[in-house]
Amino acid sequence: MTRSNPTRTAVAALVAGALLSATACGLGGAGTGDAEEAERTGRVAGEITFRTLQLKPTFTGYVQAVIDAFEKEHPEVEVKWEDVPGDGYNEKLVADAQAGALPDVVNLSTDSFQLLGDRGMLADVAKLDGDSAKEYVPGAWEQFKLPGRGDSVYAYPWYVTPEILTYNRELFERSGLDPAAPPTSVEQFFDYAEQIAARSGGQYSAFMADPKGRLPGDWQKMGVPLLSPQKDRFTFDTDKAVEWVERMKDLYAKGAMPKESLLKSDDINQLYGGGKLVFGPGSPGFVKDIKQNAPQVYAKTQVAGAVTGRLGHIGIYAQSLGIRKDTKHPDAAAEFAKWVTNGPNQVEFSRKATIYPSNAQGLADPFFADRGDGKDAETLARAVGAEQLKTAALDANTPVQWTNQVGDAVVREVQKAITGEQDARTAVKKAEEAANRLLADAART
Amino acid sequence: MEADTGLPHRTWWTPYLFLAPGLAMVLLFSLWPFVNTVILSFTDARILRGGGFVGLDNYRRAFADPDFWVATGNSVLYLLVVVPCLVLLPLALAVLVQARIPGIGFFRSAFYTPVIASAVVVGLIWQWVLRSDGLVNTVFQRLRLVSEPVPFLTDSTMLLVSAMIVTVWKGLGYYMVFYLAALGNVPDSLHEAAAIDGAGPVRRFFSITVPQVKPMMLLVGTLSAISALRVFTEIYILGGESGGPGGGARTLPFLIRQVGLGFSGETGYASAISILLFLLTLVFSLLGRRLTKGDEG
Repeated sequence: MTRSNPTRTAVAALVAGALLSATACGLGGAGTGDAEEAERTGRVAGEITFRTLQLKPTFTGYVQAVIDAFEKEHPEVEVKWEDVPGDGYNEKLVADAQAGALPDVVNLSTDSFQLLGDRGMLADVAKLDGDSAKEYVPGAWEQFKLPGRGDSVYAYPWYVTPEILTYNRELFERSGLDPAAPPTSVEQFFDYAEQIAARSGGQYSAFMADPKGRLPGDWQKMGVPLLSPQKDRFTFDTDKAVEWVERMKDLYAKGAMPKESLLKSDDINQLYGGGKLVFGPGSPGFVKDIKQNAPQVYAKTQVAGAVTGRLGHIGIYAQSLGIRKDTKHPDAAAEFAKWVTNGPNQVEFSRKATIYPSNAQGLADPFFADRGDGKDAETLARAVGAEQLKTAALDANTPVQWTNQVGDAVVREVQKAITGEQDARTAVKKAEEAANRLLADAART
Repeated sequence: MEADTGLPHRTWWTPYLFLAPGLAMVLLFSLWPFVNTVILSFTDARILRGGGFVGLDNYRRAFADPDFWVATGNSVLYLLVVVPCLVLLPLALAVLVQARIPGIGFFRSAFYTPVIASAVVVGLIWQWVLRSDGLVNTVFQRLRLVSEPVPFLTDSTMLLVSAMIVTVWKGLGYYMVFYLAALGNVPDSLHEAAAIDGAGPVRRFFSITVPQVKPMMLLVGTLSAISALRVFTEIYILGGESGGPGGGARTLPFLIRQVGLGFSGETGYASAISILLFLLTLVFSLLGRRLTKGDEG
């Protein structure tokens, strides 16, 4: 028996059809960007999905208790909790957004918030729940606005981690510096690093060279304007930015930073924990880690407020809860997000992890003001971090325009300058050109 | 006339039933992604945004992009340096460990160990060997061979060379096994006859061993060329996520990842570079195939 022509035609058509339909999917990019925005009905009911980022198994008990209490308060609501590992979290969000399958309430980091918010996939919670603003610490609510979108807010602030300064007191003193007078500006930080390099004799370094870890934060602290007022063009090609690059190049040559740290191939925790680095990572969570993993260095660790520079800004890492724009149950989703981020629930969470509440009532809890005897770095870090959250201007938002690709392009030019392949002014100029080219490309598509 | 097998009556499509699951997998996971990449390369698609048709714009952009040429240059240089090393050194190693002496099994296993080690682990080991305060620089400085540490990892060219050393080191044992198989098929009588005629070990190697394993050398050349064009991990582990200072050691796969990854990833442009890499690989594969055919002919 031989295959008939009609059979061949049918098989070919089937394959072609499958390819074409899949092609349509590949190019279509479904997503929820064009979806109708949900509006509240006044009835808190329905089944909602809640996605968290790597909270199981350590915080399973805490999260489940929060959910159970909410369901008890709102018997018509059923919350389906799903926890996703940190690796590939953003990629999974992207895939779900493309498939139109975002959860009703979703844990967002700063970058995923910016991306989904910018793409119009998140509900305006200021519209859903306008009275909530006053419940959060000043500035936290503002973090979840987007440029050009007026007073709209696209996520409920959840827990935050402020930047602090950590340093090895012993190495500080050995370098002839006063541990009671840590640097307060980027320029002073560089001055200190120069002195450390001069005194260390190559035994230890001041800080990590990796420009990605310092930009654009350092430039913002030095008052370098990243964007034009219309936010349509990068404008960081300034004398101040050039000065920053020149100092980095000079300090790198003088041995203020481990050579390989320029490429981010060094582990900062390992170097600091090994007593090879004066300035450690600027996160309160790190102090806890160093306490567990390098107790000898922990005993010499001192904490202070972050370098704020002329604008008085500190960097914060903020987690938030976004609501899917076209959720079927906007009332249940909004009430649940507000419940998770309320004062008591956030304080409870902060007692279990090194994080801070974005909720004003929560942050006012005496737990965060306790400085102990003033000697324990972990206790001090908690108090210093909380104090900064209450007083300093928060600067979580690396602008949405500063994408990973922009950051990479800038870092590449700066790295060439630090290693002496090109001069600082050329590096900054080329970095701005590359960044603006990427911005223009992004605007075209 | 069909013989009566006692089995249920077979129709023409019965064999295709058995092939269907495999075919479906190939279509879904190999053919379709390839077709999709070709299609995407003609669009301005980004992550989370379906793209519109832009014709050859992505290809034009690639040819005008200095980063693309740096990456292409690095990939081709990688291939030109690594392939001859991976064709010749494993052969020499195979000849050495082919000897039937007590304990040779240990050496064969030892040389094969890097092959089974994860590329990440290998990269990390070499990072500690080559860094400014690593093993090599410490030895060099103690012996007063250098006054300043050699920038194996912080200079783009040195980084590329370091990555090549790691690739060759990791590939030695793998291709050694290929050659051991080929050497096993060389008749002992040829060596014995040559020895009787007075040929020494070097003469026998070039006059008997090399011609006998030449087809295998060509295969190793083709395989290692394809691998060399796909190098990513070594550069990433040794040179960090920017691909060396200023991205100067980036290879084509590295550039594809950098362009296409992340929320702002340009899927269309990354696809176009992928297709260009595919074409480059195809050229070298066909070249290898042609050489092999010539040899067989």
